[in-house]
Amino acid sequence: MATTSTTTAKTVPDSIVQNKYSKDRKVGEGTYAVVYLGNQVSTKRRIAIKEIKTGIFKDGLDMSAIREVKYLQELKHPNVIELVDVFSTTNNLNLVLEFLPCDLEVLIKDTSIVFKSSDIKSWLLMTLRGIHHCHRNFILHRDLKPNNLLLAPDGQLKIADFGLARSLGNPNEDLSSNVVTRWYRSPELLFGARHYTGAVDIWSIGIIFAELMLRTPYLPGKDDVDQLDVTFRALGTPTEQIWPNVSSLPMYNALRVYPPPSRQELRNRFSAATEKALDLLISMTQLDPSRRCDSTQALLHEFFTENPRPTEPENLPKKKEKVKSEDELDESNKRRKI
Amino acid sequence: MPSKFQSLTISLDDRSKDMCPICKTDKYLSPNMNFLINPECYHKICESCVDRIFSLGPAPCPYASCGKILRKNRFKKQIFDDLRIEREIDIRKRVGSVYNKTEEDFDDLREFNKYLETIENIIFNLNYGIDAEETEADLVKYEQEHKLEILEKNMRQSQKNADLAAYQEAMERLKQEKLRIQKQMEVEDMEYQKQSQQDLLDKLTTGSASSTDEIIKQQQQNALKRSSLRRRELQQITNQLDQQFNKSNPLYKHAKELEENLKTPFTPFKGDRDLNKNYHLLPIPNDIDELMDIENHISDSYFDPYVNQLAKNKEYLGAGWRLQHVFEKALDEAFIGLGCFIEKEKATA
Repeated sequence: MATTSTTTAKTVPDSIVQNKYSKDRKVGEGTYAVVYLGNQVSTKRRIAIKEIKTGIFKDGLDMSAIREVKYLQELKHPNVIELVDVFSTTNNLNLVLEFLPCDLEVLIKDTSIVFKSSDIKSWLLMTLRGIHHCHRNFILHRDLKPNNLLLAPDGQLKIADFGLARSLGNPNEDLSSNVVTRWYRSPELLFGARHYTGAVDIWSIGIIFAELMLRTPYLPGKDDVDQLDVTFRALGTPTEQIWPNVSSLPMYNALRVYPPPSRQELRNRFSAATEKALDLLISMTQLDPSRRCDSTQALLHEFFTENPRPTEPENLPKKKEKVKSEDELDESNKRRKI
Repeated sequence: MPSKFQSLTISLDDRSKDMCPICKTDKYLSPNMNFLINPECYHKICESCVDRIFSLGPAPCPYASCGKILRKNRFKKQIFDDLRIEREIDIRKRVGSVYNKTEEDFDDLREFNKYLETIENIIFNLNYGIDAEETEADLVKYEQEHKLEILEKNMRQSQKNADLAAYQEAMERLKQEKLRIQKQMEVEDMEYQKQSQQDLLDKLTTGSASSTDEIIKQQQQNALKRSSLRRRELQQITNQLDQQFNKSNPLYKHAKELEENLKTPFTPFKGDRDLNKNYHLLPIPNDIDELMDIENHISDSYFDPYVNQLAKNKEYLGAGWRLQHVFEKALDEAFIGLGCFIEKEKATA
């Protein structure tokens, strides 16, 4: 990644930065960063520039920015967002990212769009390919949710926001259990596990899979305690029998014991799912992380080979243009990027 | 004042809605009564009145100031509350039965859309009485001129519907068959289990005490073997049924053609998967018992006293941490660059 050393003075957003990229329009601002829309001057390619504010922190750069640069530099995959360039100006750091106009959450919420089973299969397939690439490089994403699965204009799904990602270090290293947005948090994280694996990402994808079929969040907990309750009400309370050593986890409690759902109950819950789809969903949402399938097993699952075939990315449903006013568009971008 | 008036009319409406205007029977008092309408004038008449008035042949509508001649066989149940909708749907049905071409009868979409547009125009005209007589005459003329064509299209449509019905029926039968076989097998399994339990007891009573564990172990192994065999059997049968079903399925041919049109085979990893690792792993223990076993015969696996100690920590194990992952990662990282020739990759890129 070419990091140019020349530092130009900070200029107004409309003018040309570094001569290589143009900043056209501000699309959002958060505590740590401002996002601009722009073009790569040489190729006319649309890009997004994430300008990290540095001056205001006495501890230096924000952690999530460092993580994002660190891991995105290593990952090159059609289903992972591309970090085009990184450069710094006098008092901020700029990440040049591929411009992706839409995300999966927008589509899920847009009730005027109908998802075919082949569409869901295609999105799930692309998500799993992306996470497979992360996992084989020993990187955990730790914040998978529909909002972080961005969609390119050609329909390709790209995993974005590596602000919580980390690579697996020494075998004895403690990992923080306070990761992943609550609704997509796996049971071992809810129990405060500190030595979890890529299985936490697979759980999130399983929950996203369910959300794509239901068109509403699958396990929407109101707070961390409620999340445990909601999760176990839907999938049963784990016991030593089905999840060996679960009671050794730091925050284990089994206040309310719910029975695991029968196959028929799940069938009723996901009335449109085929048997193979249910099989995959069940194996991705196993409570015991060591019984949960990994990304390779998930990709090799028969669900992907049975009819119908996954939709070609370019034929996937897209966000309806011009329905949204400019203001709303800005609003949604803000929510997404920061 | 206006609000009072409004409420009065509503209550009147409500009452008249549930009362036959001819015989004044009230739905409230005789809940079994039904209302019928005739698409000639859409006046609501209760069933018993229809029977009474029209049994002897066509008669004028009993509504004052209507007087249209109605026939009994044209009376039908009202589906929509709003009679205007009821009427439009009848018109739609009638026009649709005359103009019954489908998209496949047209060369391009534009032509088909034009055709649909003309249909909508006719329906609109008939519905709102714009040039109604003229449109009606046109419709009749079209029907006469295209009689044969309309019949042909009708035949085709009914063939399609029959195909679909056959498909659904076959699907249902397949499901039933699968369920039946599964149930049958379950019953057989039950019996077998009972039998083997009995055998076990018999053996235990006759055999010596020292071999008890042996016998139980053997029994368990047998049961395990049998259950996996049964599962495979079931899988085979369902596969067979699926195949049979697909052969007889009229829609399957179509699906197959579609499949053949797609030239590229499906690849879950899009070819991006390294199957030939540059190393192979020794067996790595998965639980504590195996771990202790390995520690006594170190040569069978990797040995790292510190990491092996971690593998006994229940907190680690509960979170999904496995010794296998640690060694796999170490070896992966050690070998990851080997066999990768940058110059060669640059040349082919």
